[in-house]
Amino acid sequence: MNPRSISFRLVAWYAAWLAGIFLLLCALLYLDLRLYLENDLRESQFRRARQIANTLLVKVPQTGESYAVSQTKDWYEPEVNDRFIRITRADGTLVYVSGPPKDGSFDPAEVPVFQPQSKTESSRKLNLSGGHTLLIATLNFKSSGNPNYRVEFGALLDPVETMLNHLFLQLALGLPLAVVIITAGGYWLVRRALTPVEQITRAAERITQFNLSERLPVAKTGDEIERLSLSLNRMITRLDDALQNSKRFVADASHDLRTPLTILRGELESFAADARLDAELHDRVGSLLEEVVHLGKIVEQLFTLSRLDAGEAKTEWTNFDLSELVKTTAEQMNLLAEDKGISIAVESKQLAMVKGNRVRLKQVVVNLLDNAIKYTPAKGAIQLRVLAANGHAVLEVADNGIGIPPDALPHIFERFYRVDQARSAESESAGLGLAIVKAICTAHGAEVAAESAAGKGSCFRVKLPLAKN
Amino acid sequence: MSKLIAMRILLVEDEKKVADIIVRGLKAERFAVDVCHDGQSGWESANAYNYDLIILDLMLPGLTGTEILEKVRRKNSLVPVLILTARDGMADKIKNFEAGADDYLTKPFAFAELLLRVKALLRRGPVNRSSVIRVGDLEIDRLSQNVKRAGKKIELTAKEYGLLEYLATQPGRVFSRSMIIEHVWDQSFEGLTNIVDVYVRHLREKVDDAHSIKLLRTVRGVGYGLNDGTPT
Repeated sequence: MNPRSISFRLVAWYAAWLAGIFLLLCALLYLDLRLYLENDLRESQFRRARQIANTLLVKVPQTGESYAVSQTKDWYEPEVNDRFIRITRADGTLVYVSGPPKDGSFDPAEVPVFQPQSKTESSRKLNLSGGHTLLIATLNFKSSGNPNYRVEFGALLDPVETMLNHLFLQLALGLPLAVVIITAGGYWLVRRALTPVEQITRAAERITQFNLSERLPVAKTGDEIERLSLSLNRMITRLDDALQNSKRFVADASHDLRTPLTILRGELESFAADARLDAELHDRVGSLLEEVVHLGKIVEQLFTLSRLDAGEAKTEWTNFDLSELVKTTAEQMNLLAEDKGISIAVESKQLAMVKGNRVRLKQVVVNLLDNAIKYTPAKGAIQLRVLAANGHAVLEVADNGIGIPPDALPHIFERFYRVDQARSAESESAGLGLAIVKAICTAHGAEVAAESAAGKGSCFRVKLPLAKN
Repeated sequence: MSKLIAMRILLVEDEKKVADIIVRGLKAERFAVDVCHDGQSGWESANAYNYDLIILDLMLPGLTGTEILEKVRRKNSLVPVLILTARDGMADKIKNFEAGADDYLTKPFAFAELLLRVKALLRRGPVNRSSVIRVGDLEIDRLSQNVKRAGKKIELTAKEYGLLEYLATQPGRVFSRSMIIEHVWDQSFEGLTNIVDVYVRHLREKVDDAHSIKLLRTVRGVGYGLNDGTPT
């Protein structure tokens, strides 16, 4: 997952905020509940202390202390109910203290003795041995005409603690789980929302100069994504127009240059044939004539390219065997190679039926072979190989010549590209031969690629779909 | 050459300078040339006189070259027609050959090339179709594809044989490189003219090197041919 991607950042923000808010809510819930439960417990202890004071102690002058004590024991049964009750007189002497509870969770003797206190009601928490906490409500009972007493009524906080611990555990486990689930859901939603963008990207990747008439899918979402696909499509239309214009320009220019070139060539030829011309002038006219012929060749190749752009190679398709075509072409060109002492080996073991414009595909073989012969020094070797596998026919033209420098390799199929000027000086080519190969291959749905190690040779590979029958 | 003197050629070409060059060149070769600069007058001239050859540009004001060609052929005229054009799409070529064109030349062309084709069309009749062609002491058997010179067999590759046979169909005539490529190779090799030079050189080694009389002839800037056996 890319930490800078929109989906990652969206989900990360969303998850962080969500986790923060959840944490805050849980903390508030926990603290609030703890406060409420403790207050509740405390209140009930006070209520009982008041009961003792207001119903029993208030009658001590009539009934005596022992009655109050026995009534207290009867009502609250502190040993059975895990309660702590202690009644002391104002001078600190003990009237009654409850016995240890049956479960032995605390010892009433551990509770420190009375501290003089002026407040009527107060409470405290006592941490006892064994990890138990006793919540004690203290009531100072004062009444005119009666002796003053202090009533202490206590209960264990343990059930509250247990409950809060349980809640804490649940929250501690539930919170991360909820965050994980919601984050995953959020990620899924974001991915889903970005799917149209993904589709647009894939469609845009497929568009090259050869299929500019295609358009991107438009997601009818009425939002930014629809606008994005629409404006990308408008941009492709503008590119298409621009490319069409430049193609039309090349076609028109290469066509319209022909007549002036004919005139130029004709005039120079008749000039060169003029016997009155002295030798030096004759040479100069000859040189001019050579350049005009060269220019004518460039114009012709440009015209070929613009016809290929117009789809010429997509007509007159027949089924034929690529192996056979390669063999005969190699035979027809063998002397060119032999002349430089280069050997051509053809390897084709199987039939490779392809469908296409035979003349144009032959031109691919001719141009690749011509190239190989040109850039392979004397005594070199050229290997032609035709394979048929996985629905494709593959033609390989490999040589052990001077090779192509790595930085030039990506450009060799571009129009007018030349590896270096030295090469162009020795050959008449305009740098259009491989561009023509590429254009023919594209028209046939074929791929052409080159690999090369400088100084060791190059290999051109044409991959063409096999004919279906 | 004397046979050709009275030959009359019609040139239909709207580009005046191109027409001038062709007319000048053809007149220097002692042809009689009429020029028309538009399709309508071109057709009228073609209809009015019996020309020995018509050279037609395709893109003309008025009638197009193809339309003139169709009208001429509908008249059942057998006059050879050479098409001159700035368009060289294969579909165009086929369309015009079907309409009855005899040859096709794409601009920009060398005048020598035009002249070769004109001469070839004017004396097209007697192409040697016999099974054995003899040029001087060279003997080509077209059935067995055996070649002998002075009774001695010469081993040739298939392409070398094709080239020699093509040159031998009309001894004495010069063929341009592109004519040779068109006939012996095919359109795919267009623009690869040095292939002809290499093959002729190899052919020359095999056919001529051992003999004092050289049969293969190079005409600089024009093309190649076979001497008809008489010492030059």
